Amino acid sequence: MFDPYNIFDWAFLVPLLPALAFVFVGLLGPRLKRLEYGGWLAVGFGGAAMALGVTLAAEEMLSPGTYTDQQYTWLSLPGNGSGAFPNGFSLVVGTLVDPISALMLIVVTVVGFLVLLYSIGYMHQDRGLPRYYAELSLFLAAMNGLVLSDNLLEFFLFWELVGVCSYFLIGFYYEKPSAASAAKEAFLVTRVGDILFLLGIFVYFSTYATRGAAGGWAANGFPFVQGNAPYLAGAMGGHSTTLTIAGLLILGGAAGKSAQFPLHVWLPDAMEGPTTVSALIHAATMVAAGVYLLAVASLFLGFTPTDQLAIVAIGGFTSFFAATMALVNPDIKRVIAYSTISQLGYMVLAVGAGFAMVGLYHLFTHAFFKALLFLAAGSVIHAVGTQDLFKMGGLGKPMRITGFAFLVGGLSLSGIFPFAGFWSKDDILSSVYGTLATHPLYWPFFLMALVTVFLTAYYIFRAFFLTFSGSAPRDPGLGHAHEGAWVMTGPLLVLSGLAIVAGLLPFAHGFGSLLPGAGIPPNYGSTDLLLSGASLGLAGLGIGLAYYLWGNGRVFALADSSPAQPVRRLLLRRYYMKDAYDAVGTRGVYGLARGADFVERYMIDGTVHGLERAFAGLSDRLRKIESGVVLDYAAFLVSGLLFLLLFLLVIGPWVASNGGL
Amino acid sequence: MLPTLSILLLSLLAGTVLTFLAGKAARWVALGTSMLFLLEVGALLANFTWPGVNASGVPQYGFAESYPWITLPWLHISYTVGADGISLPLILLTAILQLVTVVYSFEETRKPAAWFGLVLLTCLGCFGVFISLDILLFFLFWELVLIPMFFLIGYWGGLNRRYAALKFFVYTHVGSIVMLVALLVTAFYSHAPSFDFAGLYGPAQALGVTTQVFLFAAMLLGFGIKFPIVPFHTWLPDAHVEAPTGGSVLLAGLLLKLGGYGLIRWGLELLPTGLVHDQPLLYAVAFASIIWGSVIALAQRDLKRLVAYSSINHMGIVLLAIAVDSNLGLLAAVLLMFAHGIVSALLFMVAGSVHHTFGSRDIASIHGITPRTPVLSTMVMVGSLASLGLPALISFPAEFGALLATWDRIGYWVLIPLLLLVVTAAFYLWMMQRMLFGPMEGVPEGARDVRWPEALAMSLLVALTVLYGILPGLLTNVIIHSPVYGLP
Amino acid sequence: MSDPISTASFLGLSGALLGVGLFGILTRRNFILLLISIEIAINAAVLNFVYFAAFSSTAASGLNGQAAAVVLVGLAATEIAVGLAIVLALSRLRGSINVAEATSLRL
Repeated sequence: MFDPYNIFDWAFLVPLLPALAFVFVGLLGPRLKRLEYGGWLAVGFGGAAMALGVTLAAEEMLSPGTYTDQQYTWLSLPGNGSGAFPNGFSLVVGTLVDPISALMLIVVTVVGFLVLLYSIGYMHQDRGLPRYYAELSLFLAAMNGLVLSDNLLEFFLFWELVGVCSYFLIGFYYEKPSAASAAKEAFLVTRVGDILFLLGIFVYFSTYATRGAAGGWAANGFPFVQGNAPYLAGAMGGHSTTLTIAGLLILGGAAGKSAQFPLHVWLPDAMEGPTTVSALIHAATMVAAGVYLLAVASLFLGFTPTDQLAIVAIGGFTSFFAATMALVNPDIKRVIAYSTISQLGYMVLAVGAGFAMVGLYHLFTHAFFKALLFLAAGSVIHAVGTQDLFKMGGLGKPMRITGFAFLVGGLSLSGIFPFAGFWSKDDILSSVYGTLATHPLYWPFFLMALVTVFLTAYYIFRAFFLTFSGSAPRDPGLGHAHEGAWVMTGPLLVLSGLAIVAGLLPFAHGFGSLLPGAGIPPNYGSTDLLLSGASLGLAGLGIGLAYYLWGNGRVFALADSSPAQPVRRLLLRRYYMKDAYDAVGTRGVYGLARGADFVERYMIDGTVHGLERAFAGLSDRLRKIESGVVLDYAAFLVSGLLFLLLFLLVIGPWVASNGGL
Repeated sequence: MLPTLSILLLSLLAGTVLTFLAGKAARWVALGTSMLFLLEVGALLANFTWPGVNASGVPQYGFAESYPWITLPWLHISYTVGADGISLPLILLTAILQLVTVVYSFEETRKPAAWFGLVLLTCLGCFGVFISLDILLFFLFWELVLIPMFFLIGYWGGLNRRYAALKFFVYTHVGSIVMLVALLVTAFYSHAPSFDFAGLYGPAQALGVTTQVFLFAAMLLGFGIKFPIVPFHTWLPDAHVEAPTGGSVLLAGLLLKLGGYGLIRWGLELLPTGLVHDQPLLYAVAFASIIWGSVIALAQRDLKRLVAYSSINHMGIVLLAIAVDSNLGLLAAVLLMFAHGIVSALLFMVAGSVHHTFGSRDIASIHGITPRTPVLSTMVMVGSLASLGLPALISFPAEFGALLATWDRIGYWVLIPLLLLVVTAAFYLWMMQRMLFGPMEGVPEGARDVRWPEALAMSLLVALTVLYGILPGLLTNVIIHSPVYGLP
Repeated sequence: MSDPISTASFLGLSGALLGVGLFGILTRRNFILLLISIEIAINAAVLNFVYFAAFSSTAASGLNGQAAAVVLVGLAATEIAVGLAIVLALSRLRGSINVAEATSLRL
């Protein structure tokens, strides 16, 4: 029931406020005197949503617990005592605030607000500003709704909505064919994941519904209220195959959204959208929704050991795989995009190994430092008008704040003490390391994750040195760069602060209750210390190598005859996976469609036309009988009479005398 | 007790006749008639109570009326009408589509009196089909729909209209005859005392298994041609492509629903045993329609053909939802028919407007129209997204229900329709990528955004798409008051 | 009543008349000869009515048969009248009464 004095019952306003902004900006934005006004309107609503979101999170810290408020029955099927669903069910849409959704709420509303503000400066020349703000507001509404969902179906509803917002925002510069194509690719690849996710929901649903969940399930449809996991384990006794399949299907959905191998191809191409969109959607929030889903599923629904191994394998492999592609890419945004895939791989790895909270910890810190990196990159792109690292250089002097912000983001990403990324990444490595004794199959994926620490530090500092070190841009045509307005630098500084301190928050009093179990494990020992030292050493090595090859304006060029050239080409071509998908998609499926169309036109419709021609031809012949000569008709008459006589007098009696038909 | 449904029928009939006679004022008469009819249907929904099932288990109907018509010693034919949760959403759909079609084609200049009269007559026929509860009455209305549609295609259609009109007529007529024979055999083999639903209900259900199996298969063929089911579907793309926009809207929005409605009302309710034993056949046909419609749509260059094939795909899902024979499946089937009525109407209007604006519907030669026609492009996007099943738009709850019911009955076979959802998304997105986005190309000078009647009609449909997407309960709470649930 | 003539011979006579009539209908192209052939065939039927009326068991059915014979004679007369009118019209239009040439009613 709705209680106006309970702040958690007002949680529905967090998605609703940006939704109102979507309606207002979408309808009124183009008619306002200045396009920025629409932007400020969206910023206002986003700010209000942030205030409420952070308040909710604070309340949650003060009194941890699960607060649900189910406001609306979306669809209900009454039971008729028999048939498929004898008791019927009703699907409810409501809000649920618990520690992890409060954590996500902070990430989404804070980063969302900062990006909205930053965009005022970044997008100010764009004619499509109202459209941009409308779509971004809709995204924020959907993302907040997703975070606050109290059941899997509602989660899926918003999951699809954030997907379509991402589609529109990737294709924001729709006149560019590459942007339109990237938007389509993103939608389709994630859709493959969504289909699997939907099937996973079906499996969970019917498992609960048909195995007689007396109370909660039948009444509420799809709740993932805490405490379902033990129930499920009980109900699933002897049905672990079904549970394994459901877990794998959920993993498929998460892999689509969080760009995990083999559904990762869309995320680098999604960089066709505005950089602010990349920061918010394709780094901090939407792509993290897959990890959030996995965490929620592992906490409330439970995974079988097979599922866990699959998740660990996908996560560990993806972190390494994506990092290798970031090593050689010449595009500043794509380097960060590959880094996002790689870091999401870390989170998936942690969740798979059974440390959902640790994965969410990394999600939390990553959101800030990755949004920071993207916004800093956006600031650079805004200033110089290119994304090609090899044209930049020497930007550190004119753009001190941006350079500082990128440096903080890079150090945090590399996991350097005491930046935010250090704490969460180290937590992941030591947690997973702790499971190796009991799960030796995790070893290769742990090692991949460890090597990735080195790769990460190398590629992000390669980008840093190429952009900011040296004396002047390598392409003299870039003009003189300058720092953006306060709306751009302000968010950069705030995010820099967060990228430094966010890692320490779980240790803070109160805040830790949002992430129970994350932070330094209680039995932190010498092995963990050794592991931290190793990862710090690897990161330092990576930074050193980057400095050696690219520092001070140096440009390292691989010799043409070098045996590493084929590897470089392979990495630049993204292991040919996109080409393979394109081939399957265009030549395979489209070819199939063309073939089917041919069958349709010439065989199915051809049969119809053939029948038509056959009948027309037959009647053309038959009508020749109608000569118009009276004598012919008389002849027919007489032969008909004779036939009747023959039948009545000869055939009939003969049949009758032989016992009838 | 007022003869409510007859009053509605007569008011629509009077409006239709007046429209035919109104000459230049026809559009205003048609507009008035359809608005009045929509109001009446609204009142119908507001006052609807379903009386439930009588003592002998025969479902009763709301607003029921029955007057004897032809009475012979061995045959009772009556004018029997009534409504329940299955027909009411479709009646509402009829009223909505009638209004938006009239609004959309408000500036029709070629023989406007005949145009609007025929549009109203088509809707009159559909309304009659949805309320008839007597075999002969049902058949009369069923055939009545055919004639105005034949003329709508044959006179106002595109270049190849005669071929398309004839193909449409012959195909659906063959279907009608098979259907009539199946219905008559049901009545005569079961020795039913009368042709009305209540008289048929008990005796038909008592028919032997073999008889029911054959009769249900015959009904599948008869009603299925209207659906349409693969491989009896090739009339649909031709009819849609050649039909004028208003004709396509009614064709996709209403005429296809007649098949689904008939199969539920006369097939599923009268011959439940036949349905259960025909399930393998139904699944095969439904999967074939889903796969074929979706895959072929991918290869189309003509926007209308693309939407037509996607209709085959969606109606395949409707058939699947009927075939699984569960309460959820039927709920989803009716909901999906309503959803498809709204969404396909929107998409055919979009295709018609693209044709008016750019003189062509060729996806491969018109590019980047968004800056020139933002309103039209928005409509394309909303229609496509609704059709590919985006949540918060009308198709999603219906498709979700249908697929969940399928999963519940036949398990992992549901992967077939699920995977085809990706293909459905692919052809819509690819169409949008080519037509809406990219650099402008193939756009004639002076191409302007849609005119106000078209924009108004499409906006109404968009509003409904969002409304029912967010609040599907508005419809499902009506649908559950029907024999398949037994909830009064 | 005595039966000087056997049933077989009566039926044979009417059968023969019918055969002659049918032969004429199938082979004659002259409209007047065609009409005569039709008359012969009708007379075969009339003869049968009269014959079976004479042998009927009840007076009522006997009268029925004779009445039918009278009606048939009337019918034959009417038919001849209409037929001759067609012959006249045909000869005026075409100058020939050959039925094989009159095919213009066919589409």
